[in-house]
Amino acid sequence: MSTAGNASTVKERAELALNDEFLRKAVKFTTERLRNGKKQASAEHGNWDDWRERGRQIRLHTIAHLDYYLNMFANQARANGVHVHFAETSAEAVKLSLEIAQRKQAKSVVKSKSMVTEELHLNHELESIGVEAIETDLGEYIIQLAGETPSHIIIPAIHKNRYQVADLLSREAGETLAPDTSILAGFVRKKLREKFLEADIGMTGCNFAIAETGSMVLFENEGNARMVTTVPKTQITLMGMERIIPSWADLEVMATLLPRSATGQKLTVYMSGITGPRREVDADGPDEMHIIIVDNGRSLQLGDPEFQELLNCIRCGACLNACPVYRHIGGHAYGGTYSGPIGAVLTPALQKNVAEWDDIANASSLCGACYEACPVKIPLHEMLIYLRRRKQEQGHGNAAESFGMKGFAAVMGSSKRYAGLVKLGKLGQKLVVRDGGIRLKLGPLKGWNTYRVTPSLPKKSFRDQWGTLEQELRHGLKEVAPDVRSRMEAIVQGRDSKGGNGHG
Amino acid sequence: MAKQADSHEEWLKQQAEDSKRKQEAFMNGIAQKLRRPRVTSAPEHPFRGAPDFWQAFEWPLEERVDRFEANFKAAGGHVERLADMEAAKRFIAEKAEALGAKYVIRQNQPELNGLGLEETLAASGAEVRVWNSEAEENWRARAAESDFGIVIADYAAAYTGSVTVLSSKDKGRSVSLLPTVLFVLIPLERLKTRLGEILIRFDEAGREQLPAGIHFISGPSRSADIENDLTIGVHGPGVVHALLIG
Ligand code: SF4
Repeated sequence: MSTAGNASTVKERAELALNDEFLRKAVKFTTERLRNGKKQASAEHGNWDDWRERGRQIRLHTIAHLDYYLNMFANQARANGVHVHFAETSAEAVKLSLEIAQRKQAKSVVKSKSMVTEELHLNHELESIGVEAIETDLGEYIIQLAGETPSHIIIPAIHKNRYQVADLLSREAGETLAPDTSILAGFVRKKLREKFLEADIGMTGCNFAIAETGSMVLFENEGNARMVTTVPKTQITLMGMERIIPSWADLEVMATLLPRSATGQKLTVYMSGITGPRREVDADGPDEMHIIIVDNGRSLQLGDPEFQELLNCIRCGACLNACPVYRHIGGHAYGGTYSGPIGAVLTPALQKNVAEWDDIANASSLCGACYEACPVKIPLHEMLIYLRRRKQEQGHGNAAESFGMKGFAAVMGSSKRYAGLVKLGKLGQKLVVRDGGIRLKLGPLKGWNTYRVTPSLPKKSFRDQWGTLEQELRHGLKEVAPDVRSRMEAIVQGRDSKGGNGHG
Repeated sequence: MAKQADSHEEWLKQQAEDSKRKQEAFMNGIAQKLRRPRVTSAPEHPFRGAPDFWQAFEWPLEERVDRFEANFKAAGGHVERLADMEAAKRFIAEKAEALGAKYVIRQNQPELNGLGLEETLAASGAEVRVWNSEAEENWRARAAESDFGIVIADYAAAYTGSVTVLSSKDKGRSVSLLPTVLFVLIPLERLKTRLGEILIRFDEAGREQLPAGIHFISGPSRSADIENDLTIGVHGPGVVHALLIG
């Protein structure tokens, strides 16, 4: 190893030999081919409803026995050498994370995107104790360089064209970089590699946690989650307490449902199962591994017949993309970490506060497209109704509400409603249409840097569409579809007098 | 320094005790919210794993090869079917020559040790390093600067077009992750139809037998974050060659 033996720090050594030109040369043809051969993998998969039903059953079973499986996971992870922590509140989870960072005298933390760390505003907290938190998803990194907080715009860096990105990165590089995506990616590759090698702590979320072996599973496309769990000496994983599945066999079902629903891929580029820290003889992987199991309002859904199924969510984002009203409102309307139909229900549920939910709840409950899209069949559209009812029961009604209720009734009863909403959906697409396809990156999806292409709808006049829809919403039928009504009534009757653990 | 380490150890021990206490409270809280006593023995899980119709599904070998190839290519990967390991060596050497690779890192696997990659690649000016072959080296940094990484797959699944690599002392996670171009050699008998055929082995092996890292790889690293344009190789390998051997 004479080539790099003299340089003292990892960074110097990395800089000595890193060959960022090489990437550009090597990927040229691959990129061309992929661009020309976009393909939707999901449509090819047979028996989709059998898979959905199986996914739902596995999630229902696990959540119904969550004390058993979570307990098992914690014990097994500990047996693997993981330091397991429990945090009831976000404040506790933050405190634990910061304490570990301080104990390790960390100067920098490399992060792969995680919804839970966003939920906790962890970057901000880390900065406040002088620890640099580096987002390593390409888009998040660009935003961070620009000194902007990750907004809830559809694609983190969509408002930056490649010339602006080139300017930003040139400043970072200290030389002028051409506005060519492969050159820019090559620079980021080199730069972040140095960051990975320097960082004291890698921080991740967790897509699934396997109870029987105490393993955690991550799905991603860029490879930065693998970096974060391979290179730094200490790994901290934050996981929602409901992320559990019993076994690796069950992972096959989740691996079948999640990527197909999220991005139309048969599998994400990387699916990694991590079982404990580096073994003594291994030359990479973390020396010390922490898993912080976070409640932060999740357990409030347990035992609530109307909302327990929220915990089945695998954060695929399919409901966001399916929701025509969400597409209309786009990313602008969302203030919370979780957006779209799932966010409209989850945000107030986690915060135990029904008064606080977006007006999108009024609109997005209308058509049930979110339910149809959901790979674990969560009846989001019904939950939106329950939420609305609870809000009204608590006297939070307002003007928007009445519009929403009428809208709901109208749309549920009208056969034309869906067409109308789809037309409306077209409006939202204007934001993101490119090359005749729409690529959305929304809410939970951002968690692992997805891309998505759906055909764009034909252009038609805004005014026509809006007029039709509004008419339908205002003057349509006032009745709920009978099957939905009876299902709702049955559930409500099944509730005991306490009605769960409360949202208000 | 030693003092610091001690106190960190103590802190971890303290945390472990707190955590166990908290765990009890957490689980009791869950049971209470579910309005039933704690579940302490394994519940019946009638829906374990994939739907029944799927569990017995298997393609014949040639179809597995075809499907794997089609899926891996659709994800932006490259696939070659080669007669033997010698052919694989020639293939890698040609690529090294064509791209002017300087540093190559490979796993310390018996199938690769006997191959003489070192001499062959030296002829075109590339230096081959063998993962974890010297205790003092910073192997993560060595992998990070490598142009090529060479690994042997533990398994592959045709249905999703994925290869599986498991970590060990001799098989670094970094070798399949950090180099710009990755070569995965797949002995044909390791190519399965379904993911489930591979995953079930980890259940059967049990916790103690699992490696720290189990990685499924289904093509080159990708992102769509600059102008919504597909960008290849931002973090992981930008080019992945799956070489089916046999
Ligand atoms: S609720 Fe939405 S994000 Fe969650 S699993 Fe269903 S479709 Fe996916």
